[in-house]
Formats: sequence, C-alpha cells, structure tokens
Amino acid sequence: MKKIFGIIAIALFFYACGSDDTTITTDDSGTGNTGNFDRSAMLTNWADNIIVPGYVDFNAKVNTLESATAAFTADASDLTAVRAAWLDAYTTWQRVSIFEIGPAETVNLRLNVNIYPANVTTIESNIDNGSYDFGLSSNRSAKGFPAIDYLLYGLGADETAILAVYNGAEGAAYKQYLNDVVADMKQLTVSVLSEWQGSYRAAFIENDGASATASTDRFVNDYIFYYEKFLRAGKMGIPGGVFSGNVEVGNLEALYAGNLSKELFLVGLDATQDFFNGKAYNTNAQGESLSSYLDELNAIKDGVDLNEIINSQFDVARASVSALGSFESELSQNPPSTFLESYNEVQRLVPLLKVDMVSAMSISIDFADADGD
Amino acid sequence: MKNFLPIALAITTIAFTSCEDDDSPVIEQEIEVVAPATYSFERNGESTVSFSGQTTRIAMAQEIVSEMSDFDNASIASLTDMFANENNPFEDADLNASDKSVKSKVAASTDYFSTNAAASAEIKAYIESHFTTQINEVFPAQNTQASIGVAGQIADGESTRYVAANGLEYNQIVAKSLIGALMVDQMLNNYLGTNVLDAGTNIADNDADVLVEGKVYTDMEHKWDEAFGYLFGNSADPANANATIGSDDFFLNRYLGRVEGDEDFAGIAQDVFDAFKLGRAAIVAKDYELRDEQAEILRTKISEVVGIRAVYYLQQGKNAIEAGNFGTAFHDLSEGFGFVYSLQFTRNPDTDAPYLSREEVQGIVSQLTAGNGLWEVTPATLDLISTTITDRFDFTLEQAGS
Repeated sequence: MKKIFGIIAIALFFYACGSDDTTITTDDSGTGNTGNFDRSAMLTNWADNIIVPGYVDFNAKVNTLESATAAFTADASDLTAVRAAWLDAYTTWQRVSIFEIGPAETVNLRLNVNIYPANVTTIESNIDNGSYDFGLSSNRSAKGFPAIDYLLYGLGADETAILAVYNGAEGAAYKQYLNDVVADMKQLTVSVLSEWQGSYRAAFIENDGASATASTDRFVNDYIFYYEKFLRAGKMGIPGGVFSGNVEVGNLEALYAGNLSKELFLVGLDATQDFFNGKAYNTNAQGESLSSYLDELNAIKDGVDLNEIINSQFDVARASVSALGSFESELSQNPPSTFLESYNEVQRLVPLLKVDMVSAMSISIDFADADGD
Repeated sequence: MKNFLPIALAITTIAFTSCEDDDSPVIEQEIEVVAPATYSFERNGESTVSFSGQTTRIAMAQEIVSEMSDFDNASIASLTDMFANENNPFEDADLNASDKSVKSKVAASTDYFSTNAAASAEIKAYIESHFTTQINEVFPAQNTQASIGVAGQIADGESTRYVAANGLEYNQIVAKSLIGALMVDQMLNNYLGTNVLDAGTNIADNDADVLVEGKVYTDMEHKWDEAFGYLFGNSADPANANATIGSDDFFLNRYLGRVEGDEDFAGIAQDVFDAFKLGRAAIVAKDYELRDEQAEILRTKISEVVGIRAVYYLQQGKNAIEAGNFGTAFHDLSEGFGFVYSLQFTRNPDTDAPYLSREEVQGIVSQLTAGNGLWEVTPATLDLISTTITDRFDFTLEQAGS
C-alpha cells in the first residue's frame, strides 16, 4: 500500500515537472531568489515612508474624531462636524488597514475597528445595559467605524429624528456609548503607533532575510490577504453575492451613511497599488518596493514585465470600478452584471499577486480559506 | 486512497479460472449487476427509495446543535426535550409531530449495542451531560473573558467561541459526537449489517418481491435506503446526492464533502455514492454477496472520513497552540475531540470492530480533559493521539493533517 503511494508520488512529481509555467524569471543567483535586491532597503522604505506616516495620519484623524465627538455629545444640535470627522478618519483607515502585521496584528486592529455590518442588536443591548467590555471579542461587531456609522446615521429616518434620540430620555447613554467607541479606537491606534515608533520598526527592518518568518515574506502574505479578503471580497464580492449567489446590500461598508462604499473601496485600491510601487504616504516620492523587486528579478510573464502587467491591471480595475454608479445603485440591478464585471477586473489581480509575483520572489503563501465552521 | 479490492478480486478470479479443468464445459451465465446512473429505483413506475426517518433525525440534530448556542432561550430542559423529542420542543412542527427522536438512535445499532445496553446508556448520558455543562457553566460566562480554568468567550479570528473552564466548546463536541453515535453507528453497524438486512424473512421476501405491508419496497431495500439516508437524507437531490456534497447538513454529509475537498482523498465521495448505488442495485438483483462487498467498502470509507477529520482537527489545533492562538486551537480541538469520540462507532470490515475501541477513546478523552484540559494540552500529546489514529488506518499524518 505505502509502496504504491510512493510510485504515485514519483509519477506526480514527474508530471509536475511538465507543467508549463508562464512566469519566467531570469536569475543567476540560484536559490533564495532575492537576486541582488536589497530587501532591507525595501523594508526601510515601507516602514519609514509608508507605514509609520500612515499611522501618524490615521492617529491624527482619530484625535480629530475624538474632539468632534466630544463637542457633539456636549451639545447634540448638529451632526455635520462629527459626521465629517468620522468620514475623514474612515477614509484614512482604508490606507492603513493593509498593515496588519506586528503591533496591529497583536491587538487585531482591523477586527476591532472595522467589522461590518455592525451588530445593531448588540449595540442597542449594550447601551440598554449601560455596561460593556470592549475587550471581549463578542463586542467587536458593536464598535469601531461601523458602530459609529449606525450611531450617526442609523438611529432615525433623518437628522431630526437622530438628534431627538441624543436629546431624549436615553440620550446620555447613547452619548456615552459613542464616546466609548471612539475612546476604544483611540487607545488601539495609539498602542499600534507607539510600538512602531518604539522598538518594532527596527525589529521589522532587521528581519530582512528570505524565509517564511522574514518580514518580507510575512508582509507580502498579509498584503495579499488584505487585497483578497478585505478589499476584493469584503467590499465587493460579498455584497455582490459572488460567494452566496444572493446580493447582500446589507453587507456594504458604511451602510447607514450610504453611497460611500465605492469611494472607500477606491481608497483601499489606491493604497494597495501605491504600496506595490513603494510610493511614500501622501506624496509622489518612490522607494524600493514589490515593483522594483520584480524589476530586479526580471520577472516576465508572456513576454511582458510582470510589474507592468500588475500595474496595468490595477489601472483597469480602478477605471472599471470608477465608472460604476454607487454600489447601492449597482446592486439594485438584478443581476448586478456591471458591478460583477468590475469585480472580475478586481479579481484578476489575485492570481497575478498570489501566484506570479510570489513565485518570482520565492515566497510561499501561508494562508488558505479557513475551514471555518 | 484507491481501492485495490477489484484488482485483488480480478487476480483471484484469474487464479481460480486457471485451476479449473475444462473437461466438462458447463457454461454458467454470470449476470453482471449494473448500477443505475443515479440513486433512483422504481417498481411499477413508483420510486421505492425512502428514508424520511433519517431526514427527520438530521433536522432534529441540527436544531439541538443550534439550541446549544441560543443564550437567550435554551435551557437544560429544552435541550433534553429536543434530544428525546418530548413536550413539543422543536421550532419545526413536523418534528414535534414525529414519533422519532435522536436519543433513541444514539449508540443503538444492532451489531454494537444490542447486547451492550450499559455502554449505550452511558453514551446517551454523556451527550446529555454536555447540555448541562453548556447551560450551567458556559452560558453564565457569556460575557466573561475565558482564561485558564475559567469558562467564557475567546476570540478565534473573526469569530467568538464560548468554552467551558477546560477550554472545550461543547456545542462542537455534541455536533461531532453525533456524527459517530447517530449517523455512523446506525449506518455501518445497523442498516448495512446482515443482522438487519437479512432479519426475519427478509431474504426470502426480497427474493420473491414480497413488499412491506402498504409500501412499494421490500424490507431489505428499505433498510439499505435508511443507511443511505444518514448521509444523504437532507440532500437537495438525493438521486444525484454528490452534486451538493458537503453542504446538505452539518454532520456526515458536510465532512465527507470536506474530505473530498482534500486532494489527498479526492474521489472518496464518488466511491461512497457508487457503493451505495451498486449495493442497492445488488439487492434488486438478489445478489447478496455483491451487496455485502459494497457494505464493506462503505464501512472502510465512512470510517476513514471520521479518522481523517479527527487527525485533521488535532493537527490544526496543534498548529494553533504553537502559534499562540488559543481561541482557534480550542475550536479545532473541540471538533477533533468529537471526531475522536466518534471513532468508537467506526467499523473495520477486517475485524468487525471499531478502528479505536471505546476504551481507547475514553483514554484519549481523559488525556484531553486532564487538569485544566485544553489549556494545558501539549503539541506532543496531540501528535501522539494523531499517530495512534493514523496507525490504524491506511492514510498518513501528512495526508490528513492539512
């Protein structure tokens, strides 16, 4: 029995050698496949010019949101300023959501600030009870940006009705909850930023080897995981019914504010492409990146530079999504064919990143669809 | 895993044929039984396939498992009532109206438990004890952070799991234990066994097409269908059951689908479905030897599903412990625990005994629950349990572990 398996295994091995791999990498360095590329320079560019400035900006936006929330809860007469501060922070979040490694991974930042849709039942029962522990994972869907979305847009049919809640019999409890949600976000953000500004930056850059636990390998995994699961599936695939067969409008981001999910998606897409190209946060300066790494490796697919193929697919996906109406209006079509065609363009990047790019870099993908049940 | 039985049989046949002396050329007409393309069998234009009792019990089991996570409404009484189908406990009125229950068929097979009433009662009581733990220990700690020796909730990626003080997630344990105690035991040790298939006048009746009073099928046909129903009773289209394999229930169907999805075992779902189909066709053709050969294939394959998933979850849990993800580990290990428990209901056709005995299973249960339970279980222990299991089967740790 075991012997037969051996024969089959050998046969499969030989068969695998015959597969026609279209990504050709010219590389004289043999194993390791980092070519002459300086991974440490790329890690430094990531940390100093993209990740840390991103967190600094996000932290500033959360602080502004905190002040705006404090002002609103002191005098709940106008939602305009606090809503604007929420949207600004939420938009900036889309640029840093990718960086779920190290400090952010330790505190599960993404799961703590952006599980959507918010669980309204839990939010209301928390407010009703007047006591809640935001450290419990069962409260993750009752806080963060989606909870604020509900608290600023979903408590009533219009602004007047929402303000009436804050100025009504239970108003104090709602105000307290809103402040507590923002305070929780602030505490998490500060902890992540201070780790990066403390010892983590050096640890991240020093781990510049090529192995499953090296910073480059781990972060590339996190980056692709973000693209595939949180950008592609979370913002488009799931609401579009790609996986369930049913359109799920209720799973759109910024559900209560409405008509923002497309813009939030596009910010995330820009952030993903900018990161690929090593573009410094909010400027046009470029440093060592996944793109220059592929260049150094001379990664070619079907006779074209792989980094060009990836960049042009980013552009195609962006143009396709930009041309759509709001996601809400697209998903009201049955079936939402135009939306799904755009999704397909977004999906086309997945194999380019997850197969072609990583095989050129000899990075193995360590995540799979969880056997969740 | 390929099945080499046909090759072995072919070789044996050749061996026998070559030993025959051909002085007297008596030609016996060998009728080859051909299974239909789908699991559809008719008599006088009417379908003879029936397994409504199994469909009912699968639905009951689903409600029981859901109830274990219903913090707002569940009680020990509601769970024990559902288990025994007493006092109209189910949301689905059809289930309340049914005279069937899950409990009456837990550890209740003819081959394993007809002369083993004590073990049967212990197993039923063990499952019921999980209801008590869930209600008395886990529910009150719904909003407590679980920690060593303290029941409560624990994060598992995007999910929240609710565990007892020993780290075990009892809704998972019940769900996975029922796969063995209900579905596998009834299928392999009751309905596919000759004690049941050939009971009373079944052979004579089937030979003479004597039907069950008021029905369109023979008793033997029906018994075989009932075995089929424990796997496919909730399928969208049972005749083509594999079209939706893995998504028709939370029990055996789901996990045959999962094993099928592992490239190391791809093809197993077809092997199982084909064996059910050919066995049923063999009954129609009165070929009981062929029928029993199919039952052996089913015993091997279905037992493998339980063994593979036990090892899979133990290994996934081990990896999560090594990565420090206790929530993920406890969820996986609780599933693994249930599959290990289910191993005592498997059936090795070579020995007609389970691949792991009840005593061995209880030994593993003791290992996993000793001291502070999963909070203290070591990767070495999990590897040891895993290899104990793989040593009994024809698959390897590497094949099952991921």
